[in-house]
Amino acid sequence: MHLLNKVTTVFQGQEFYIAIELPNRSLQQAKICCDWRLKSLLTGYEHLLEQRLQQSTTLAGFMEELKTIVERVGQDGDMSPASVASPRFYSHLLEELAEVGWERLSFIDANFRWLHLEAKDSCDRRHVLKIHLHEQHPEVAPDCVTELPLPFHFISTGSNSLKNLFSQFKQCLEQYKEFWDAMDEIDSSTWVLEPEKPTRSATVRRIALVNNASLQIEVNPVQPTVLPKCTFLGADHVTSPLKGNLCKNLHHWRSAVSLLDNLQNVLEVTFPSPANTKKEDLSVECGICYAYRLAGCVPELTCDDSRCCQTYHRDCLYEWLRSDPTSRLSFNMVFGECPYCSKPITMKAPNK
Amino acid sequence: MQRTARMKRELQQLEQSPPHGVSCWMKNDSIEQLEAQIVGPTGTPYEGGIFQLEIDVPERYPFEPPKIRFVTPVYHPNIDNAGRICLDSLKMPPKGAWKPALNISTLLTSIHLLLSEANPDDPLMTDIATEFQSNRQLFEKHAREWTDKYAPSQSQDKENQPPKEKTEINDKASTSDNIFTSNKASTSNEMSGKHTHAEQQTHAKKIKLG
Repeated sequence: MHLLNKVTTVFQGQEFYIAIELPNRSLQQAKICCDWRLKSLLTGYEHLLEQRLQQSTTLAGFMEELKTIVERVGQDGDMSPASVASPRFYSHLLEELAEVGWERLSFIDANFRWLHLEAKDSCDRRHVLKIHLHEQHPEVAPDCVTELPLPFHFISTGSNSLKNLFSQFKQCLEQYKEFWDAMDEIDSSTWVLEPEKPTRSATVRRIALVNNASLQIEVNPVQPTVLPKCTFLGADHVTSPLKGNLCKNLHHWRSAVSLLDNLQNVLEVTFPSPANTKKEDLSVECGICYAYRLAGCVPELTCDDSRCCQTYHRDCLYEWLRSDPTSRLSFNMVFGECPYCSKPITMKAPNK
Repeated sequence: MQRTARMKRELQQLEQSPPHGVSCWMKNDSIEQLEAQIVGPTGTPYEGGIFQLEIDVPERYPFEPPKIRFVTPVYHPNIDNAGRICLDSLKMPPKGAWKPALNISTLLTSIHLLLSEANPDDPLMTDIATEFQSNRQLFEKHAREWTDKYAPSQSQDKENQPPKEKTEINDKASTSDNIFTSNKASTSNEMSGKHTHAEQQTHAKKIKLG
C-alpha cells in the first residue's frame, strides 16, 4: 500500500508542492517528487536529504528538517527567477506571435523573454520595438525599449497582448512622422558632425557651417517645425553675424516650411551639403592630433582670430598649453598662444 | 593617443604630397621611427647629393618635437659630427620654437632650407662656421667634397657609400680636424692616420685640378 502525502512548504513567499511516496510505509525508502524549482534548489544537497530521511522517525519530523534545509539553501544560493516558465507561457506566446505576424519578429532570446518586433512607418522607415516579457505574462504588462525621441508608455487597455502593444507602438510611430521627416532631411542635405550615426531617438544635430563653425540644434519631437534650440559653435566673427540674422529674421519662421529651409532662410546661409562639398573640405579636424574624432570627442575650440579659425580638441589644446612654458594658468583659465597663428587663446582647464 | 592619429595622417600626406626634395617613410612599419632623404638643393655645395636622415617620433609627439638627425655626414655650420641639427623648431619653447602646428613635413622642408642657407650666428661646428664667414670659397669646396664622398646620388660613384657606423663618423671627424689643423693629426690613431693621408692626397689632386 502506498501512502501518498501531498504537502506544501512555504519559503520566502514561495510555495513548493512536494509529493512523498512511501512504498513500505517506511521513511527509509521514501520517494520524493517535487516541483522543478525546488528540485533545482536542492541539487547538490541530495546526500543531506537522504541522511535526514534515515534519521527522521515521523513524516512530520522530516518535513521540519526539509524546511530547514530549504531555508538554509535559499540563504546560501539565490532564489533567482526561473529561466523556464510554465508551458502555458510558451503556448500563449506562440499564439500571440501568430496574431502579430511572425514576419515582424526579428529577434528572440533563448529564454523567450526578450523579443524584437519590427515595424515600418508610412514613410518606410524601419523601427524596432524591444519587448521584455514578464514571467507572469500576460497578467503583468511587458517592459518596452524603443528608439523613440520620447519614452514610450504602453497603456494596457484591459489586455496586455502583444498585438495590442504592437498596434500602440505603430500608432506612436505616426506621431513622430513629421519629426523624422525633418531629421531625415537634415541628415541627408547637410553635414551632420554629431552624433556620428544619429539614432531615431536623437533630437540633437550639430550641423557644419563654413569656416569651422557649426550650429547645434535641439528639435522638439512633438513640434518639429517650431524653432529649435540653437547653439552656435566656432569663432566669434563667424557665429555672431549668424546670431544676428537669427534674431532679426525670427518673424520669418514659417511652420509650413520644412525645418531645414526655415533654418537656412532665417540664418541667411546655405549649409554645406554632401552634394557640393566633401567633409574634409570643411577642415574640422583638430590642428594638433589631425583627427576629427579622438576618444569620442570632436574639436570644440576654435581660434578666435578671423584669419586662423583653427579648431582643436579640448584635451589636445590643453595638453599643448600645459607643455608650453610660455602659457599660464590662473583661476582655472589657461592663457596661451594659438599654435597656428600665435594670437592669444584662452580655455577653461578641464575638470580632471 | 594623439601620436597615432596624427602619424596616420602625416604619413599619408608624406606619401601623397611630399615636400620639394624630400621623401620620408616608416623604418620598420612602426610610427616611432622614420627614415627620410633630402636632395641637396641646387646652387649649393650639396647639389647632387642625397642625404639620409633618421627620425624618432617620441611618445608625446606632437606635444614634443620629433628627434631628427643626419645619418649622412654633412659639412655644415649647423650640423655636427653625430648628425645633430641646430634648428630652433626642433627644440621645445622657450628656447626652441617647436609647436604642434609644425609637422615632420615642414621640419624636413626647414632642414632642406637650412642646407641652402646656413645660420653661422648659431653654429654647432664653430670651425666650419668661422670658415663659412671668413672664407666662403674654401667652405664650399670642403662641403662639395663631403657631398661627393658621403652623399653621392646612386648614379654616381658607388664605392663611397654613406658611412653607417659610428667609427666612420669619428673617422670623418678626424678628417675634418686634419683639414683645418694638421697638428691634430698626430692624435688620431694609425688607421685613421693612414686614411687621412690618402684623403690629403686626393685633396691635393683636386686642388691641382681646380
